[in-house]
Amino acid sequence: MLKVQNVSYRYDSWNWWRPRSEESSVLRDVSLDLEGGCCLGLLGTSGAGKSTLGKVVLGLQRPNKGQILFEGQDLYASGGQLRQRIRREIQVVFQDCYSSVNPLMTAAQIIGEPLRNYERLSAGELRRCTGALLEKVGLSAGDGSKTPDEFSGGQLQRINIARAIALRPKLIVLDEPVSSLDRVHQSLILELLADLKSSLGVSYLFITHDIQAAMALCDRVAVMDRGEIVQMTDKPLSLWESESPTVRSLTEAVLPEHPSLRRSLS
Amino acid sequence: MEVRGLQVGLKTGEPADLLRSINLTLGRGQVLGIVGESGSGKSLTCRAILGLLNTRSMRVSGSVQLNGQELMLLPEKNLRKIRGKEIGSIMQNPMNAFTPVHTIGSQFVETLRTHSQLSKGQAWQQAVHSLESVNLMEPDKILKRYPHQLSGGMLQRVMIAICLCLRPGLVIADEPTTALDAVNQLQVLRELERLKMECGTSILIVSHDLGVIAQMADEVAVMRKGEIVEHAGVHELFDAPRHAYTRMLLEARPRLGKEAKNAEGSKRQLSL
Repeated sequence: MLKVQNVSYRYDSWNWWRPRSEESSVLRDVSLDLEGGCCLGLLGTSGAGKSTLGKVVLGLQRPNKGQILFEGQDLYASGGQLRQRIRREIQVVFQDCYSSVNPLMTAAQIIGEPLRNYERLSAGELRRCTGALLEKVGLSAGDGSKTPDEFSGGQLQRINIARAIALRPKLIVLDEPVSSLDRVHQSLILELLADLKSSLGVSYLFITHDIQAAMALCDRVAVMDRGEIVQMTDKPLSLWESESPTVRSLTEAVLPEHPSLRRSLS
Repeated sequence: MEVRGLQVGLKTGEPADLLRSINLTLGRGQVLGIVGESGSGKSLTCRAILGLLNTRSMRVSGSVQLNGQELMLLPEKNLRKIRGKEIGSIMQNPMNAFTPVHTIGSQFVETLRTHSQLSKGQAWQQAVHSLESVNLMEPDKILKRYPHQLSGGMLQRVMIAICLCLRPGLVIADEPTTALDAVNQLQVLRELERLKMECGTSILIVSHDLGVIAQMADEVAVMRKGEIVEHAGVHELFDAPRHAYTRMLLEARPRLGKEAKNAEGSKRQLSL
């Protein structure tokens, strides 16, 4: 469904007096494949280029090299109407739930916005749709009249998810959706995402630095380090036994579940 | 440190509607963990202990004693001398803890010189040493940079380096690792552990991550809705949690397939 082919991206601007440097490359020759109904995890420390790859896939940043194929069509070569249609199929949930909603809009308006943009619904239908979406993500239809400041972080993230699934997309890019939440809400949101995946058949590109979250949700995991994919596996659990130093540093950073398993920190 | 009957409320509301009679005791070289969901009053407790709450809009009562000295009655001028020198604090967001318009070095040196009689050169030397000790490469370069040029993990380690220099008796760490990724989190915990071992510092660590608590704490206080609902030794808490909310916290970790289905029932009963 989604093919990322030899994508490179760098953030620096260059001109005649400031030549290009190779060091500032954020993505180097990254290639990925994602089938429908599958969850691909992108795992890595901060600065590994995970989020940049997410933005490139979303169509927000044109890569310097390589191409993104979504159902066989080049995302950046296609223009106008085609682009608009592809955009509808790829949605996103960001880490910072507060800044991804307009504080002046009500929850129903926020969730209804993509529907208003893409579908011609009457006011009654729109209300029914947003109500159903709210219930699908574990809130009540009555919450639709509240504004973002009346919700907690976990609830607001549910609203972001509801907005992302409103148009029944084929792919959702989840950019650290649970990192800013506390553990209780983290596991609840992960469960919600797993439920939605099986009921809607949507694919996820799940960007995270939390190896346990990745293992709980993903079918496949790609480990990134400094702009490159260092490991790709179909069995996320096999990462525990991985030899690669990048993966090792991630698995070793997992904190104990019980004080008797405490690690020595010297 | 001893906290007795600490209460915080809004002036417009009930006298104790934000925090209700918090009692905490922390011995030398001990680590006390505070856990709880967001909005349960963990950070408010920390700020009340540091005397950082706005007394024009908040009503604070109770007693906070440090080495037998009552902090609640001290005037602001004396409190300033205690903050930093005797109570170090590490905040959740290191980006907000530094001024963006001055270099790391000038802020570091300023902090050292307000609490000791060092010359600028000596203070700079000490800053370089302490940055080296938290495993930051090229400390001279880092000191000349501005906060936005460093990553979150590096800034957090600079904060800890400042703490290390002043050798406070108590460090209040308010979610020190929440903004960091797993690898940096381990680094920061390592530095805190070293601070404890080398200076005999007591640490009050606030977190919503039980992994951090399991790794660091000797004792744990569980907060919910402005109250301490459970207070126990760390082993006791993990082996035999008494409060329903504590059990829910313990169960809240990412689960794999089958395990998740078994746990679903129990979570529904508790319902957040």
